[in-house]
Amino acid sequence: MTGEQKAQLRRVRAAILGNRPDTSASSTLYPVYVAVIAAGTYGVPATQQLFRSIDQKWLAEHLQTPAAAIAAVVLAALLLTVVRFVGQVHGPVVPPLPYLELVVASPMPRKVTLARNWRLSSAGCTFGGLLVGLVLGSGGAITNMFPPVVMLPTTLGGALLGVFVAEFWLRGQLRGQPGTAPPSTSATGSEHGASMRGRRLNALALLDISGLKRQSASNVTIGGAVLAGDLRTVRLDAARPTTSARRVRLRAGGPLMVIARRDVLGLRRAPWSAVFGLGFTAAGSAGLMLSLLSPHTSTIAPLVSLLLCHLGFGTWCEGLRLHADNSGTSRLLGLPYRDTALAHLAVPVLGWTLTTVAVSAGLSLAGLFNPAALVWALGTGALLAGTHLMAAFRGLPPIGVFGPQAGVLSMIFWYSKPLLATLLVGTVMAAWAVRSPAPLSVFAWMLILTTGVFAWGLALVGKRDRRS
Amino acid sequence: MLGRRAAALAEARESAAHVLRASAVGLRIDESVLLMPTDVSLSGAECVVLRGPNGSGKTTLLRILAGTVPPSEGEATLDGSPVDERHDLTRTAIAALIGAPATYRDLTLVDHLVLIDSTWGRVGAPADNRADEMLELLEIKHLAQRFPHELSSGQQQLFHLSMVLVRPSSILILDEPEQRLDTDKRDLLTRILLARKAAGSSMLIACHDPAMTEALADAIVDIQPA
Repeated sequence: MTGEQKAQLRRVRAAILGNRPDTSASSTLYPVYVAVIAAGTYGVPATQQLFRSIDQKWLAEHLQTPAAAIAAVVLAALLLTVVRFVGQVHGPVVPPLPYLELVVASPMPRKVTLARNWRLSSAGCTFGGLLVGLVLGSGGAITNMFPPVVMLPTTLGGALLGVFVAEFWLRGQLRGQPGTAPPSTSATGSEHGASMRGRRLNALALLDISGLKRQSASNVTIGGAVLAGDLRTVRLDAARPTTSARRVRLRAGGPLMVIARRDVLGLRRAPWSAVFGLGFTAAGSAGLMLSLLSPHTSTIAPLVSLLLCHLGFGTWCEGLRLHADNSGTSRLLGLPYRDTALAHLAVPVLGWTLTTVAVSAGLSLAGLFNPAALVWALGTGALLAGTHLMAAFRGLPPIGVFGPQAGVLSMIFWYSKPLLATLLVGTVMAAWAVRSPAPLSVFAWMLILTTGVFAWGLALVGKRDRRS
Repeated sequence: MLGRRAAALAEARESAAHVLRASAVGLRIDESVLLMPTDVSLSGAECVVLRGPNGSGKTTLLRILAGTVPPSEGEATLDGSPVDERHDLTRTAIAALIGAPATYRDLTLVDHLVLIDSTWGRVGAPADNRADEMLELLEIKHLAQRFPHELSSGQQQLFHLSMVLVRPSSILILDEPEQRLDTDKRDLLTRILLARKAAGSSMLIACHDPAMTEALADAIVDIQPA
């Protein structure tokens, strides 16, 4: 950026601010301050608990193996892939609409007008990565998992990962705007061998105004919806419009069959949802069944497994959520509202059952098959169906959670109820079953609680039906 | 089992002639009057057109007679029973287009029609054919593989009409079906609705188009603003 360009931007900022004081520095530093406090207060103790709950000897042995290095690389690659996807919906460079209209659309070079936003996002990612690395390192050092000197590589590694996260996030934003080639194939081609900083600035120059406006408008919508507690609007706004597999046609069938076929078609048109669902569900059901093999397994194992199960099952429930989203509009389907909701559970439940049986077959090849664990995991499908009914039909939060007494925690608790139901019922029952001398009675309790959760979900469906 | 039940219901009720009646129906919310007490009666192969200035309560009356909004005064009945969209009889007899209906962002136009048709228990290849025929009838067959977000405003309206017309019904309730359509498409829609009426359908339509009104209306009800 030339001195003249800097001066021009200063004048623009002064014009935008008018007589108001420039609070950008304090508003940038405040999140940093909060993040540092939160990391020290919650992050380090939580990491200590995590390390203490894991078999330290086992971890120390496995951390230095090639498999651990491969796992770390795979996890980092997975994170970067997800970040790239996020960038397509919400990138790191999203100035407010007036700034886009008045400044970014002007003849000033885009890499100059957008540089400040990029610097903030990039620094935030790097600092966030550094903080995560520091928290992990210090948690391990305090619990004597490894010597304090290891904090240095974990911190530097975290910061480096943060740099890559920012880079992939920006590439995702570029990829998300239609008709723009990624920087590696077009603009950067002419500056082959330029520094990473140079390439980033070129990437900024490639961001088009319509893409930036779309993301900025979406930012406003999503921000407003989050403040109003309307996660449905957030989900619908963040989702990319479907355009794939348009030539595949829904075939007619009976009323229930056509709903199931419609859900399969929806997943075919969103293949990544299907794949993520399969991955999470397979990992979760495997973890759940393995955690039921020994009474010495930590409670964390079924907890994490059920979290994966909940996420995986949820990605297959888009048809159910869309049905819930459409309540309140003129109904055209011949099936009653409640029956349609139940029909939308057919595909995720079938997917869960097939995945669990396949995973169980895989475990039996490794000599880890346990019929009771398989039955338990299959039964968990009913619990997941119930909690996803709750999630899809929960509607908007009650007015009470917006009150001055309630606060953010009430809102988070209200939204997390379906997830908490999965984790609480699933984990407590699994931990009890594996330690109980009479697992059949625990299974009976599991059935009762699952029935209760499912009935809760159906009650919410009925509530939406009456309101629509 | 559900499929057979729906098919039986559809067959039994599609052919029956229904009487839809509003007796001194009005809607008041606190001090606001959304609809002055109004009488409307509809039976057999008849078309009643509602007219009135914006805000006079035409859409409110249509919502009440479609069973999605209860009146605060008077009574709306279908064959003598209160109209309620949650009741089987109401949903089977009445197909309504009042505002944009629910569409799915991951289904194409033809998928929507197949889904709607199949959930009414009409199974097999004819459901696929009926979907194609409906798109052809409304001259949007070339849009069959588009998703709803890829349509223009007028195309959206034709698509919404196709969703309502494809499902079995004996009473059509349409709120300004001519909106956003060009002159040719308005003529086309008029011909389609006349054919439906000739086949025995009852229709209650809020309409601002004088030509459509003249062609379709057996009776006209002028709604007076509050």
